[in-house]
Amino acid sequence: MMFQTTPAHEELRARIRAFAEAEIKPIAFSLDQENKFPREQVEMLGQMGLMGIPYEKEYEGAGLDVLSYAIAVEELSRVDGGAGVILSAHTSLGTYPIAAFGNAEQKAKYLPDLCSGRKIGAFGLTEPNAGSDAGGTETTAVDMGDYYLLNGTKIFITNGGEADTYVVFAVTTPGIGTRGISALIVEKGWDGFTFEEHYDKLGIRSSATCQLNFNDVHVPKENLLGREGMGFKIAMSTLDGGRIGIASQALGIAQGAYEEALAYSKERIQFGKPICQQQSIAFKLADMATKLRTARLLIYSAAELKQEHAPYGMEAAMAKMYASDIARDVTDEALQIFGGSGYLKGMAVERFYRDAKITMIYEGTNEVQRVVISSYILGKAAKEEKRPAGPAVPKYGETGPRKKMILKDGTAAEKVDKLVAALTAEGIDFSVGIPADTPIVEAERVVSAGQGIGSRENMKLIEDLAAAAGAAIGSSRPVAETLKYVPIDRFVGMSGQKFRGNLYIACGISGAIQHLKGIKDASVIVAVNINPNAPIFKNCDYGIVGDVNEILPLLTAALDTGEKAPAPPMVKLKRDIPAEKLPPRKLYICNGCGYEYDLLKGDPEGGAAPGVPFEGLPAEWTCPHCGESKDGFIDIEV
Amino acid sequence: MYNYRKVTDDLYWVGADDHRLSLFENIHPLYHGVSYNAYVLLDEKSVLFDTADWAVGRQFIENVAAVLDGRPLDFMVINHVEPDHAASIGEILLRWPDVKIITTAKAVLILRQFGFAIDQTEIIEVDEGDTFSFGAHEVAFVKAPMVHWPEAMVTYDTTNGVLFSADAFGSFRSLDGKIFADEHDFAIDWIDDARRYYTNIVGKYGPQVMALLNKASGLNIRYICPLHGPVWRKDINYILDKYIHWATYDPEEQGVMIVYASMYGNTENAAEILAAKLAERGVTNTRLYDVSGTHVSYLISDLFKYSHLVLASVTYNLGIFPPMHNFLTDMQSLNLQNRKVAIIENGSWAIRSGTLMKQQIEKLKHMEFIGDTVTMASGPQTQTVPELELLADAIAASFTAEE
Repeated sequence: MMFQTTPAHEELRARIRAFAEAEIKPIAFSLDQENKFPREQVEMLGQMGLMGIPYEKEYEGAGLDVLSYAIAVEELSRVDGGAGVILSAHTSLGTYPIAAFGNAEQKAKYLPDLCSGRKIGAFGLTEPNAGSDAGGTETTAVDMGDYYLLNGTKIFITNGGEADTYVVFAVTTPGIGTRGISALIVEKGWDGFTFEEHYDKLGIRSSATCQLNFNDVHVPKENLLGREGMGFKIAMSTLDGGRIGIASQALGIAQGAYEEALAYSKERIQFGKPICQQQSIAFKLADMATKLRTARLLIYSAAELKQEHAPYGMEAAMAKMYASDIARDVTDEALQIFGGSGYLKGMAVERFYRDAKITMIYEGTNEVQRVVISSYILGKAAKEEKRPAGPAVPKYGETGPRKKMILKDGTAAEKVDKLVAALTAEGIDFSVGIPADTPIVEAERVVSAGQGIGSRENMKLIEDLAAAAGAAIGSSRPVAETLKYVPIDRFVGMSGQKFRGNLYIACGISGAIQHLKGIKDASVIVAVNINPNAPIFKNCDYGIVGDVNEILPLLTAALDTGEKAPAPPMVKLKRDIPAEKLPPRKLYICNGCGYEYDLLKGDPEGGAAPGVPFEGLPAEWTCPHCGESKDGFIDIEV
Repeated sequence: MYNYRKVTDDLYWVGADDHRLSLFENIHPLYHGVSYNAYVLLDEKSVLFDTADWAVGRQFIENVAAVLDGRPLDFMVINHVEPDHAASIGEILLRWPDVKIITTAKAVLILRQFGFAIDQTEIIEVDEGDTFSFGAHEVAFVKAPMVHWPEAMVTYDTTNGVLFSADAFGSFRSLDGKIFADEHDFAIDWIDDARRYYTNIVGKYGPQVMALLNKASGLNIRYICPLHGPVWRKDINYILDKYIHWATYDPEEQGVMIVYASMYGNTENAAEILAAKLAERGVTNTRLYDVSGTHVSYLISDLFKYSHLVLASVTYNLGIFPPMHNFLTDMQSLNLQNRKVAIIENGSWAIRSGTLMKQQIEKLKHMEFIGDTVTMASGPQTQTVPELELLADAIAASFTAEE
C-alpha cells in the first residue's frame, strides 16, 4: 500500500492541468471581475470527455474512477475555484442522482447529454427555511394524476440558470418530515420555471449561482427519481459523494495558493536572502505542504472507498471538512507570504483567499460535517422531543380520522362556495332528497341543530337548509330534551339516535363526546359554528367558522335545486381516509433477552434517534436491556 | 422408592411428577400437576441431562441413583438453568462430586448468579455446533437463545436421534406413569395444557422458536425429550405443526373468542347477544369468557388457537376494566399477532373503553379490526341489537372470506 495514484491518474492530471493553465488561467481574473460563467471553456471540457468522468461509457461518460474525477476538480480549482465547482456541481450533484437512482428510461434520456457536456446539470435542495435541515423543505409537488404540480423556491443553486437539467427536491407527502420528500428531474424552459439574477458573491465568481422559482410547474410522473419519499435518501447519498468534489475543490484552491506563495517566497528578497530562507516563512510552507498532503490523502482515500462501493460517508465528510478548513488556512498564509502585494486585486492569491471560504459553507457547512462525522462515531443524537411531555395526544378525535378542512378566511359566500364544491366532489347528489322526518338511523343525510342555533324561530333556518340539502332534521340532545325544538326521537348521540348515513351537517353544535359518538360512522361531517375552538371542528371533514344566521341562508341558497327527486336507496360513501399503517420493515430481536429494535422507535437512550436503521447503529451499540452485542440479533419482517 | 422408565436403548427417564403445585412460576394455575423431566444416558460414560425442581428432589435423586446402580456419574449436560430444572444440581454435586458439567457460557453465568456451588466443578463450555462423545453416543449442541431464556440450548444425540429439547415441546400436566405422548390421547387430554404452557411461557419468542425449528429441520429426530410433559416418539409432526402455528402466530382454526368485562351483567348481555347472532349466522365455533373469572393464561392460550377476538368491556374509572386491561397487557407481553378483532364498549357517562382497547390492540402486529365499534350507554338498548347484528354480519363475512 503505497498511497500512490497510478500513472494513468497522473497522465489525466497533466492533461487537465495543461488545459487549465492554457484556457482558464489567463481569463480567471476577468471571469472573477465580471462575474462571468466560462461557457466556452465548459464546452471544451465536454469535448475533452471530462464532464462525465466517473460514469459509464454506455452513457457517454469517461468510465473512469472517482479518483480521476477528484483530480479533475482539483486541477481546475488549482487555477480557478469557480471552474472547479462548475464541474463538481455538474458531475456530483446534477448527474449523480440520475445515474444512481434513475430508471433505465431516465438514464437513457438524460445521462448522455450530461456526461458529454452537451447539457449542464444542477441540484436544487436548499431553501430559505431548509438549509442544513432538509426537514424544513417547503417546495411542494402535488400529485395531479399524470404529473406533479411543483411550487416553491430554491436558493444558492450552483450552475443555476446555466444548467439545463435540475434534480429538485420537493415535499410530496406533507407532515411526515424528511420521509415525505421526493426527487424530481426538472428541465430548464418548462412553463413556470424561472431564475432570479445571479448572486454577487465573495468568491467563486465564475460559477453561476442563483435562485430557482417554481410556479405551477408541471413535472411529468416519469421524472420522479426512485420512489416517492426517497428524496431525502437521494439527497443525502448525493451529498456524500458531492463532498469528495468540494473537498477536491478546496484542495485545488489551496494547492494553487500554496504554489503561488512558494514561488513568490523564492523570488522575494529581504534582508539579503529569499524570504523562504527565513524560518518563519519556511515553517509556514512546511505547515502548508503538510496540510495539503493530509487533505489529499483523506480525499483520495474517500474517493477510493466510494469507487469500491465501501461505506465512505464519514470519510467523505472528514475529507470535505478538513480540506476546506485547511484551504482557509493555506490561502490565508499564502496571502500573508505575499504581504501587501497579495492584498491587491489581480493577484491570484487574493482570489484564492476569497474562493476558499465557500468550501467551508456549501455541501453542508463544516459544522454539519462534524455532526455527520460524530453521528457515525456515536450514532445519531436523539431528536429533541417537540411535543410537550405528558400522555400522547390521541391521533384522532372521537369520530376517527377526518379531513378537518376548516374554512376560516374569506367572506361567508366564499366559504359556502368552497364547501359546496367539496361536498359535490365527495359525490353527494343534491338533486335528490329524503323527507325531513326520515328516522335518523335510516337517513342518508341529516341537518342537525345545536344550542348555537339560538331562538326557536331560527329552526326555520334548519328546516330550509334540510329542504335544500334533501336531508332529514336532527338535533343535539339539549335541543330536543331541554329546548324541545324537535321531538325527543330526533336527537343524535350515543344515548339517542345514531347517524350512519353519508352527510351530517352540524349547525351550532359544539360537539360533546356523547354527540360525537352518535355520528362517528357518518361518511362526511360538516360543521358550522361560530367558535373556532369547538370540538366539532376536530371531528369534522369540513367546517365553516361563522354565524349560523349568516352561513345557513347562503348554504341553503347554494344547495337549493328546487323540487328534490326521491332519493334512491342509500349507497354508503366510503370514507377515503385510511387508518395509518406502519411501513413494512425489519425488526431486530435480541437473542439475549427478546428486546426488539424498531427503527421507527430507535433507541434514544442508546444514542439512536428514531429512524436510524439497525445497520446504521455504531458497532459498539449494545442491547439497551441486556447488553447483547449487535451480532446477537435476529431479524424478522413485519 | 425409585420410579424410572427406559426411553430407548441406553436412555432412561429419571424425572418426577408434582401434583401439589398450584401455580406454575407462581402465576399460572395448575389443576393436573406438572412433570419435571430429566434423563440419564448410560454409555461408556454416564450422563445426566438436566435435573429437576427441588419439590421432587428426593424422587429424582432416587431415580438417578437407581439407574446408575453404583456407577459414577461422569457428566451432567445442563440445557436450561431455570430453577424448576436446575434446582437439584447442588444435590447432584454433593453426591457425585467428580461430575463434569457441560453447558453454555451464559448458563454458567446464571448458575453462579443463582448461587450454585460450582467453583470446584470442572465445567466444559460448549457453543453452537460443538460435539461431544460419551462412547457410542455422540451429541451435538444447538443453542436455543430466548426459547425462552437466553442461555438455553438443546442437545441432539446423533447416534439414536434423541433431541433433548429443554423447555421446547414442554407441557403442563403430570405424566402419571405414561411418559410417552403415544401412551395418552394427547390431542384430547393434553393439547390444551400444551398450548397453555407454550403460549404463556414461550409465546413471546415466536421468531426464536422458528429459528430453532429451522435449525432442527436438518436433523433426523426420532425422540423429543422435553423437560416437561411427555416424550415424543410417534407423530412428531403433529406437535411440530402446532408449534409452527404458535410460533408464527397463525391461528389454528377459525373461531371467535368473545371476552367480556361486565360489572352488573349488561356488557355480558351484549356479549351473549352477539354470540347468539353469530350462531344464527352459522358461526358456532365460539368461546365466551368472563375476563373477571377466567385466569388470563387460559385466555391467552385460546387466543393463540382462534382467529377472531371480540373484546367487550365496561369503562372503569375512565379506563378499561382492570382485568380486561391485564388481558390486553398480557397480549402485548406475549407478542400476540395476526388476529381479527371487534370491539364492544360500555359506560354510563363517559364511554372510553372502546377507544382505549383499540389503542392497546393497535400496539400489536398485524391486527385487523372487523366491523364498527358497538357503543352502549349502560347496556344494550333497542338500537344496540341492530348494531350487534351488523357486527355479527361483519364477523361472519370475514369468516367465509377466508374459507
